[in-house]
Parts: sequence; C-alpha cells; structure tokens
Amino acid sequence: MRTGTLLWAGLEVPQEEYLHPGHLACQGCGAALAMRLVLKAVGGDVMVVLPACCWTIIDGPFPYHALRVPLLHTAFETAAAAAAGVKAGLEVLGDTRTQVIAWAGDGGTFDIGLQALSGAAERNEDILYICYDNEAYMNTGIQRSSATPLGAWTTTTPEAHPEDRPKKDLMAIMAAHRIPYAATATVAFPDDLIRKARKAKGIRGTRLLHILAPCPPGWRMESERMIKVSRLAVATGAFPLFEVEEGTRYTLTYRPAGLPLKEYLKLQGRFAHLTEDQIAVLEKQVEARWKELLELHARTHGTVEDIPVVPFGG
Amino acid sequence: MGSDSMQDLPDAPLSWGDTRWNKTGNWRHMRPEVRERAAPCAKACPLGNPIPKVMTAVSRGDLEEAARLLLERNPFPAITGRVCPHPCEVGCNRRRYDEPLAIRSIERLVGDWIQEHRTVYFPSETGKRVAIVGSGPAGLAAASYLRRQGHRVVVYDRNDRVGGMLVDAIPSYRLPRSVVEREARALEQMGVVFQLGVTIGRDVSVEQLLSSYDAVLVATGAHGERRMGIPGEEHFLGGLEFLRAVRRGERKPPGRRVAVVGGGNVAIDVARTLVRLGASPVILYRRTRKEMPAIEEEVERAEADGVEFQFLTLPTSAVKLDGYLRLVVVRMQLGERDRTGRPRPVPIPGSEFELECDAAIRAIGEVAETEFLPREVLDDQGWVVADKFTGATKRAGLFVAGDLVTGPATVVEAIAAGLRAGRAIDRFVRGEALPVQEKPLPTVPLKEINLDYFPRASRVSIPELPLAARCKTFDEEILGLDLNSARGEAARCFSCGSCNLCANCWIFCPDAAIHLDGDLPWVNLEYCKGCGVCATECPRGVITMKEELAREGAVA
Amino acid sequence: MITASATKVITGNHAVSYGVLLSRVQVISAYPITPQTQVVELLSEFVASGKMAARFITVESEHSAMAACIGAASVGARTFTATSSQGLALMHEMLHWASGARLPIVMANINRALAPPWSIWTDQTDSLAQRDTGWMQIYVETSQEALDSIILGFKVSERVLLPTMVVLDAFLLSHTAEPVEIYDQGRVDEFLPPFSAPYRLKPGVPQALGGLADPGVYFEFRVKLQEAMEKAREAILEEGKRFAKLFGRFYGLVQEEFMEDAEMVIVTAGAMAGTARAAVRELRNEGRKVGLVRIRVFRPFPFVELRQILGGRKKVAVLDRNLSLGHHGIFYEEVKSALYPMAARPLVVGYVLGLGGRDVRPEDIQAIVDDLEMREEAPEIVWWGVKR
Repeated sequence: MRTGTLLWAGLEVPQEEYLHPGHLACQGCGAALAMRLVLKAVGGDVMVVLPACCWTIIDGPFPYHALRVPLLHTAFETAAAAAAGVKAGLEVLGDTRTQVIAWAGDGGTFDIGLQALSGAAERNEDILYICYDNEAYMNTGIQRSSATPLGAWTTTTPEAHPEDRPKKDLMAIMAAHRIPYAATATVAFPDDLIRKARKAKGIRGTRLLHILAPCPPGWRMESERMIKVSRLAVATGAFPLFEVEEGTRYTLTYRPAGLPLKEYLKLQGRFAHLTEDQIAVLEKQVEARWKELLELHARTHGTVEDIPVVPFGG
Repeated sequence: MGSDSMQDLPDAPLSWGDTRWNKTGNWRHMRPEVRERAAPCAKACPLGNPIPKVMTAVSRGDLEEAARLLLERNPFPAITGRVCPHPCEVGCNRRRYDEPLAIRSIERLVGDWIQEHRTVYFPSETGKRVAIVGSGPAGLAAASYLRRQGHRVVVYDRNDRVGGMLVDAIPSYRLPRSVVEREARALEQMGVVFQLGVTIGRDVSVEQLLSSYDAVLVATGAHGERRMGIPGEEHFLGGLEFLRAVRRGERKPPGRRVAVVGGGNVAIDVARTLVRLGASPVILYRRTRKEMPAIEEEVERAEADGVEFQFLTLPTSAVKLDGYLRLVVVRMQLGERDRTGRPRPVPIPGSEFELECDAAIRAIGEVAETEFLPREVLDDQGWVVADKFTGATKRAGLFVAGDLVTGPATVVEAIAAGLRAGRAIDRFVRGEALPVQEKPLPTVPLKEINLDYFPRASRVSIPELPLAARCKTFDEEILGLDLNSARGEAARCFSCGSCNLCANCWIFCPDAAIHLDGDLPWVNLEYCKGCGVCATECPRGVITMKEELAREGAVA
Repeated sequence: MITASATKVITGNHAVSYGVLLSRVQVISAYPITPQTQVVELLSEFVASGKMAARFITVESEHSAMAACIGAASVGARTFTATSSQGLALMHEMLHWASGARLPIVMANINRALAPPWSIWTDQTDSLAQRDTGWMQIYVETSQEALDSIILGFKVSERVLLPTMVVLDAFLLSHTAEPVEIYDQGRVDEFLPPFSAPYRLKPGVPQALGGLADPGVYFEFRVKLQEAMEKAREAILEEGKRFAKLFGRFYGLVQEEFMEDAEMVIVTAGAMAGTARAAVRELRNEGRKVGLVRIRVFRPFPFVELRQILGGRKKVAVLDRNLSLGHHGIFYEEVKSALYPMAARPLVVGYVLGLGGRDVRPEDIQAIVDDLEMREEAPEIVWWGVKR
C-alpha cells in the first residue's frame, strides 16, 4: 500500500487508497471516483452506510467488498436513519471518533430517502451524508428521478416527452433544515471536493455533500468524457458549486466561466433531442438559479466580487 | 462463489474478501499508453532543450533542477537566454492559444542562476587530447562537452579574448561581455586550456595540430565580409569591423547620418549601435521587411530605436564628396523566387536616386575563411565539406562546426553544431562509431492539449530599459525576470508531451489503477477498464488510448 | 439502577419499558403510535433521567426506527423499538433486513387492527402478517410476562442471532395495570450479560454486511436463517429454564392447563388466554373435560409440542383474533398444518372472533366449547359474534 501524498493543484492528496480496484462500476464511473476521493479526504476512520444504489453493485458481490472501510448495506430509503443508528451504536459502545458516512444516490436522497434524510437532518444527527448525484435511477436502467434535470431523456422520460420539471433543489431543502454544513461538489474539481469533505469532517452534526457524479451510460456519452462533462457542468453554471453553513450563510465556490450551457449539453446524448428554443429555456433557468445564489452569497458576504472564476480554459 | 457450501458460509452475510480478485482489465478494449512526446518548442530548439521539464522545475521554484535539465542540452543558457532568436517561442503551442511563453527570459534566469551557483565539475581523465580552433559559441560548446567527458581540451583563438563573435560582434546591449567571460572562466576552472593570440595557419598549421592531438575541431566562424562590387566600395566600412571597433571601446560614430547596407543581423546590430553612438542610421535593403534575414525581434527594436529603413533599395555606386558621401541607389522590385525561396530583387530601370550621408557601412553578409584548411576537406569553391550532423571531414580526426560550415547563423545554431561535433569527437577519440541523427519524436499539436486546464493568461511582461534610456547606453537593454514572475510564467507552460506529474491521471482514475511512483504514471493493466479518462484529462498528450490488441479467444 | 426487586402495579406497556431498562438496552429508536406510546414515553424518561445509559433516537417514522436499530445493532449495540399496527406494517421491509443481517433486535408490538377503517383496538393480524420476516414472535398474556419476555427475548435473540417481537394486545394488556415484579438489576445482569456480537461491523475492519448475494449463495443464507429458527426452539426452552431458576417463572413455547384428561381443547394466544382460562375453569367445575393451550411462541412454531399435547384429543377449537383474508384464522391454519402428519388427528375447528377489539367474554368461550362439542366436521371458518 502506497503512503504519503501527491500534490494535485497545490493540494496534498494522500496516496493511500480506500477503494480497491476490481470494483464493479462501469467504465468512467463518476460515482466510483467520488467515493475514492471522499475517502481519501476523510481517511480510514469511517463507516459507510449504503442504501440501494449503483454502489450496491459497485461494491462487489458477497463475499467481496471494494472498500478498505466497513460498510453496512441497507434499504433504499434508509441511509440517513441507518447511519444515525450506526453513529448512536458506536457512541454507546464508546467510539466517538469514527465518522459515519451515509452514501446514497440521487434516488435514495432526493426521492425515496428524503424523509429519513429530513428526519436525521432535523435532529442534527452526527453523520456525513453524501449524495452522489447521477441524475436518474441508473442502477435500474436510467429512469427519471426528482434529480433529473429539465429536458433530459431517461427511459421513463422518453424523447417524445422528456423531463418536464426542473431538478429538485436539494440544497435549499437542506438549508431549510439549518444543518451546520451543506456543500455541492463534483469530481472534476477534486481539490474543492476534498477540501469540502475535510471541512465537513471537522464539523459535528448533520453535514451533507451533494456531489455531481456523471454516469457515462446514463448520460449517453463516452466514458472518457466523464471529467470533462463534470467540469463543464460547473463552467457553464449548470451545477453551481457552493457551501451553506447553518442553513443561512452561502458561499459560492466559483463563478461560471461564461460558457454557453450548450457546451455542457452537447456532450450528452440525453440532451441531444433538445431544440434551440428548449435550450434557451434551460439557459434562462440556469441564469435565474445563479442570480438567486449570487443574492444569497451577497447577503452573507456583502459582496460578490470575492467569488473566483472557475479555473477553466478551453 | 457458487461452490460455497453451508458450512463455509458465516451466519451473517459479512464479506471477507475484497474486489482485487476481479481483474477488470479484461473489460478493456482500449488501452492507455503512457509515452512522452516532443514539445513543439523543444523540437524547434536547435539544442533540443527540454523546455517543458525546465518550465516545470522553474514553476516549482526549483532552479537547481532547472539548471541540471538545461545544462544537459545547453552549456551556456546565460548566453542563449539573451541572444537566442527563440524559435521555441515560435513553436510554442501557447502561441496559437494566447501568447507564447517567455522561454528565453526564463532560460536567462536559469543561466544567471547557474553563473552564480556553479560548482566546478572535475571529470575523470581519459588522457585523450582535443584541439579546438576558434573560441566562438561552437568552439566553446564543443570544449565544454569534451572536457566534461574527461578529454584534455585546448582552445586556440587568434584573438586575445575568448568568445569570438559573442564578444566581438554582438553588441554589449544584447550580450554583456561579463556573461561570456564568466562562461570562459568556468571552462578554465574545469580544465579547458585557452591559447589566445594564436592564428592557425600562420602560427601553427592544422597538420601540426592533427599530429599532436587525437582530434581537431575547427570552428573559426565566418568573418570574411562580402563585398558589393560597386564603384566607390572603398568608401564603405565593414560591418563586423565597425562592431569590433565599438566593442573595443570606439565611441565616435563614423558620421551623423550613416547608410547601412544589408538586412541581416550584422546590419541591424550596426544600425542600433550607431543610434547609441548618437548617429542617425538608415538601412538600405534590397528586399522588403518581410524578407529580412535578421532576427525579427531585433528589427522591431531597431524600428523603435528610430532606425530608418529604406526597403527595396540597392546602392550602385558611391562617391566621396567634401566631407560626405553621395550614394547612387536604385529601387528594386521583387521578382521570382530564388534558390533560398525568397523572391529575387530586380532593379527597376531608371529608378536611381541619390542619397547623401556622412558615412556608409556594408553588412551584406559574412563568409568563412577556409584557406588554412587542408585542401582535401574543401570543395572546388573552397567551401568546407563535412558531415552535416557530426561535422566530420574526409580527413580522419578533423572536424568542423559552426558558421565556418553553415555561413552566418545564430549563436544557438553554432552551439548546437559545436555540441554535435563534440559528441562525434568524443566517440572518435574513444574509437567508437560516430553518432547518427536520431529520428525526432512526434510532437504534440495544440489540439492534443486539454485546454480546460489552461485559462487564458497573458505572457509575462519582460522588464527592459525605457526606450529613451536604452538608446544612449550600451548597457544591457533587456532585463531579467525576478523569480516570482518567472515561476508564474513557467506555470503557463502546457508542458506539451512531457509528464510533469500533474497527477491528473492518478486523481481522476475511477478504478484506482494508476500509480505515480516514478517519473511517469504507471497504469495497472490488470484492473484498468480502459475508460479513457486519464488520456482525456492528461493536459499534455502524454497518455493516449490505443486499440487493445485482440486477446486470446476474443474476436479480433 | 434497581437494586432490589419490587412489585409494582403497572400497565403492560410500562412492564415492557422496565424490561428494556433491565436489559440495559443501548440504543432505542421509536416513533409514537397508539397504543404503544406509553412504552416509549417511559423509556424517554429513563434515558433523560440517566436511569438508562442509552441513546433514544426520536426518528420520523417506524421505517426509520427499524433502520436506526439495524444501524446500531450492526455495530454491536443492544437495540429496541416498539410499535403497533400501521407502524409495524411500515417497518415490514426492514424486518426482513434485521433478520437477514442476523441482528438480535427486540421490539414490542402492541396488537392493533389495521385500517381502514381506522381502529386502535386489539387484533393480531398486524403481527401475524409479519410471520415470514424471520422474527421470533412471542404472544404474551400478562404484564409480568411482557417484562420477562423482553429480557428473555434479548437472551435468545443474541444466542441465535435472530430478532424477537414481543406481542401484547392493545388496551387489554397494554393499558391494563397489574402487579408486576420488577427485578433487581444484578440478577438480570447475571442472566443477560452485555452483548458481544459474533458478526458485526468494526471500525477499521473492512467488511461489508448484507451485500449482493448471487444465486449461488443466497439460498444457503436463507437455509441458515431457517436453521437458526429451529435452534431457537431449544434456546427458548433452555433459557426459559435458566430464567425460571433465577426468577421463579418459566416460559416455554406453549402453555397447557387442564389438559390431563381433556377431550376438548381451546387453543389461543395472547390476552384471550386469560378469558379462556376463566371459562375453562368454570367448565371444569361443571365436570367437562376441557383443556386450554396457549401458544406463546408463534415463530418458531411449536409443531412438536402441539402434536404431543393435542395428539389423541377429540376436538380442538382454535380461537383467532386475526384473519388471513382469503384463507382462515392464522393460528388455525398453523395448528392444522402442525397436526396433519399425525395418524390420529383431532377434529380442529377454527373460530374467528374479537376482530378490531370486539369484546370476547368467558361466556363466548363456553359457548364455543358447546358449539365444538356438537360439531362432527370442521366448517371453513366459524365466525363468532358477527352481527348478521
């Protein structure tokens, strides 16, 4: 096992791996990478609670396991509740050190697991809840979830009638619970992701990371574009990166690079059917969302001038 | 796990193994290939300087490593860092994106650092002896290389100072003498012996050298000045002659208004020197600006200095009148292209006009002097015949390099030729076969650079003397970068084709199948699923995806 | 801490709470539902006052209650929850999870009828509907038995690695106060030492619990669950005997009374056994050869015991306060199937009565015995007390 760190974009990243190769994720899986990065960030003193999601498969069939940390498989809607139980169990047994990570997909978070998440968040359970968001039920074969973005194709929102509702605003929901920390991140910005995960690790109470994790098969794109599309999600403003502390203090991580949304959409077959007019609608929505976030940032910081532009060339 | 019987199973479905049993490498149909390629800058560099790696080291503030890397290919970065026409910056992929990297300025910083931090290198002696004739850039480069290999090296020069053109022709505002002197001193410290004031062919013959040394390198440059062959040519000063006099302290201009004939580097150096002496030069060049063989940057600086240019003009005669010269000048037009690919200038009949000036300097080209060489290495016209790559001549043990062979070229080309000859001589004196030119590595074009990682950023602004001040002094006009600016600038480098351990491939691998233990990433093909993320996210084209060869049993 | 035994007059619900207190449960996770609320209210007080060194997670649903128990149990904590009816139905998915992961969770379920129409009164269908989830099910008759069964539940669960459901009738037992002996902690500790889980997730040990099992291995895990259930019969008896030694009360799989020469037998479960006992005693006084069998443990089902007890009797009436719609009363089905392999089977008649808390009086039981005596054949269902 390699130890020590490697420098990535100025950040010391441990070489130690908590994700074994041989796992069953598809080629270019954003969810596998997200797990690898988060565990690098928080280290090995963790216990993962995993509801039904892609990762149920990725982790490997019995008797195998892809992580170098313990993991509890649990039912689809129970990530937050089971994690709260694990945390309580550890605590009563005298272990206050182990971080309990609930690791759920968008279905298990935005949809079926939202109630348990809301309950845990409202009780401020001491768990790190991570939603890796691939924007549909990918494990079951690409069915829409409430995290599926407006206009997207899925097998249950076919081209003739693509997704007609905007993506549910999970972060606003979590902010409304006044949890100590919530942040968005994505795999193309591992330094940011790792910093946020480490920051979350240092806080007690319910912390949530919402990680956009591109799914090449589900997004209908080439696997090698996984990082590129993740980066473009931020650069175009489709997936803004920000933090919310105590539900009220908003800090935007990056300002989009001013790239047209189309640059993000065009890499993905799930948006291939969109007309120019439909893209314009999506663009308006992205702009409105960004404006909203800017206001929240300004309310917190008194200015929006301090938001750095996303590091992006192209 | 279908074979597990009841008693082998635990009561609870608790795992006991990990997924490493699952060799996911067999999912792959494309394979990442890690292979460094040439950067266009390095490919354009006559020395093949490992520019991306040097930039990486500088960006980290590691000047020692930058120096080590640079010295592998270039013995005199403090010199080339000042006078090189930097073809690297022309080749730079960043030029086609925003602005080319200020490679030369960074090289200069490293070169200056070397001059301040040099430690004397004592090679182990081979006992072989090499004579080098000429202490210009080619001779010095060969001397440096050969001495480092442990050979005894004696450098002869007819001048009383080391440096050839570096100290005799190139004006000091471009290359201060002290920079060359420091290099000469370092060579001496390393054990190179200089025999100055010795003219080969007069004081000692080449034959004598050949009999006393294991090998001889002749790198005497091109000092003969071409003549125009026009009436009144005797009124013209030679350009090199003029520059040499100024470098030796002459500060009086030959006149106020001075005509300078020619379009090469010597012509530009002469004109700009004249400006510094208080004169008003006018350059007469028979083609247009576009065809000028001088370094483009120097032409621009001459323009800024206030040098007047009269393109498409050619003096046809000169007469000395009362204290001034009257030149008859014919206007030219461009005709068909000649052998060199440039359009041939053709006089326009009846376009003659008179140009009056106080003095005139001719700088229309320099030629090598070869009469001191053995006949057998010359052709019918007296040009040296030698292998283009090694500089080896027909005569065993006699090598040539630099302007002597190529005619007037740049300092960096002379250094490159000197090094090539040095390598060949090293082999020769060891009794080994001479080196052959290696096939150049394929280069990385801009389209293989992942520009996502490179926000547009403007080139560092290079400090220099203000225009008004620089025209009044022979002090160096371009100043050095400070370390922080240099680091920032070096960080702009795409590092095309050259792994700088940015760790993208490692950090983005969803399969934890890439490791960075050495100088290059290593892909664990047992597990690599071939997703291609590493290749796409390699910012610099070091990783590419190759079709997986058909496996046994697989359909090809 | 309770240092000396004392007898208190308390409800069945509170008896459960005391059983949990004495079992030194470490994590409680529960959601309120009538008529279970008293259980968790008293536990909240125990935790809040420091009487219990436990975490009480006030989850937002029964589903999460069981999920949290599963989480806590998977790292080796002793866990408890309580619910009823709709709440138990909501938990259903997680009941499978608890047993499949071999987690010795104990819960109290207060039998209550399922809606609609809404009902808060007793009916065993809620718990019996969970019969295939891999939980042991104990139907208790008294508040004392409720307390004792919580302690015994942990003991047996932790021995065979299966969860236990202790079932009480709504109001009839949950809210009815009776004298209950509350033991001193020392004796309970002696009987029930801290839980040391043979299979649990440990920090730093990279194991996954409950991952994907392919068809080559899932089957064997199910067989192992069944084997654990079979072992539980013996465990219940052994631990019951140990418990009796320490506390003077024995609980087996079934409880038989008036059986020496009984020709007709009333078979029932839960609080109705008390009613039946009063009726049978009366009938015995009248000289009728009637006996009583209370099925205490429904899962694992006491086939062997029932065959031994009921073999050679003339007639058996099974009283079901539950209904498997489209089939029959559930105890009836099970008793019949238990007796089927016997060469000389008694006539078994199934009576469905008292659904949704409809009162069942001793007179009803006596009338049922009269009815049974007249029958030579068993109809599909005998509905008792339905207003036609």
